[in-house]
Amino acid sequence: MTASLPHADLVAAIPRLRRYARVLMGDSTRADDLVQDTLARAWEKRALWQAGTDLRAWLFTIMHNVFVNQRVLARRDARNVSLDDDEGGAGWQVPVAATQLTRIELIETMQSVGKLPVEQREVLILAAVEEMRYEEIAHVMGIPVGTVMSRLSRARDKLRRMTGEPTMQLKVVK
Amino acid sequence: MNPLPIDDDALHAWVDGQLPAARRAEVDEMLARDPELAARAAAWRAQNTLLREGMDAWLEEPVPSRLVEAATRDNAQASQWRSWAAAAAILVVGVALGWSGRDMTLVRAGIPTTFAREAAFAHAIYTTDARRPVEVAASDTQGLVTWLTRRLGQPAHAPDLTSVGFELVGGRLLAGNEKPTALLMYENGAKQRLTLQWRKLAPGTEEAQFRYEVDNGVGVFYWIDDACAYALSGSLDRRQLLAVARVAYGQIVSPEAAVQAK
Repeated sequence: MTASLPHADLVAAIPRLRRYARVLMGDSTRADDLVQDTLARAWEKRALWQAGTDLRAWLFTIMHNVFVNQRVLARRDARNVSLDDDEGGAGWQVPVAATQLTRIELIETMQSVGKLPVEQREVLILAAVEEMRYEEIAHVMGIPVGTVMSRLSRARDKLRRMTGEPTMQLKVVK
Repeated sequence: MNPLPIDDDALHAWVDGQLPAARRAEVDEMLARDPELAARAAAWRAQNTLLREGMDAWLEEPVPSRLVEAATRDNAQASQWRSWAAAAAILVVGVALGWSGRDMTLVRAGIPTTFAREAAFAHAIYTTDARRPVEVAASDTQGLVTWLTRRLGQPAHAPDLTSVGFELVGGRLLAGNEKPTALLMYENGAKQRLTLQWRKLAPGTEEAQFRYEVDNGVGVFYWIDDACAYALSGSLDRRQLLAVARVAYGQIVSPEAAVQAK
């Protein structure tokens, strides 16, 4: 029997893959294309998957590499097109209907994070939202831990400047 | 004795909860003495909270079927996977039911239980099903409630969660060896889905307050009331999920408030 991946875990990982893809692409349709390419690549590389290890980290590493490769190819194909043009687009919208607790700060932060350079927001989201350890992030992105830390500093300070000082008493918008 | 100076790396690790306890205490001390550093840390921490809140909501969006297919393509075994998943769901519920006596002991001891975990599992399986998330749709609420009442052997109600923005999608019955589990699914305007699951326990089972667990990104509030175990699952943040759990709980305790048929 050939090697296989744990189906249920793979399906369960889709929402997180979609989130990471959306952070990378800033657009949910193209994000889903990236997820699909990542899953296809995971099946091709399934012999390299070691059962019992962290599936999320493995899939995220694949996604990061697929993303970087596609970006390199796209740049080569269309030198004039900046992939950063559409950053800060529709992908960063806050689901306003989700809750009555929607806050100005939430909307501002979500929009501002979309304006960060992709390398910085990638590190930030993996640390802040995925709660990955810095060593794991370094592994996923194939960079030294020191680079993770400096990108994190730049991302956080830039975001802080863009959103202004947070009011410690958060406003509730009706 | 002076603690080590705080560099950026330590401050990040403090904000992200990645510092060992001893070092954390040192940073706490430095922050208490340095308002500027404290403001920076507070701003970063607020960013974390907001980003999580904004992006955790994305996790609840329905998954396109092309992605589920891509995840399960394993050559020609896609259809086999579907029947396997259904069998697995039935099996785990069966195991959970068979072990319910043990479950309850664990609840009292404050240990995470299989019940919450199975609820999270069923939630993940059915809320991501694009074509058939429920067996009976909300358009036939009366039929759904009657069916669940008959199969569970006790009056069932569909709590009305519109006050917190969630509409009933419908429900299904999860099969088990001994007793079935009922599942109701709700959805809000942002297509986030919640499930409320419950099953009967042995008469006289001690009541248990709300408990919270996160399993695979799915938050679960669970409690025991009137010899029945309940679990509300969703990928909302804890605070939002608790608000919904309170509304659901209130209506279960006083069913007159719940929608029985509309």
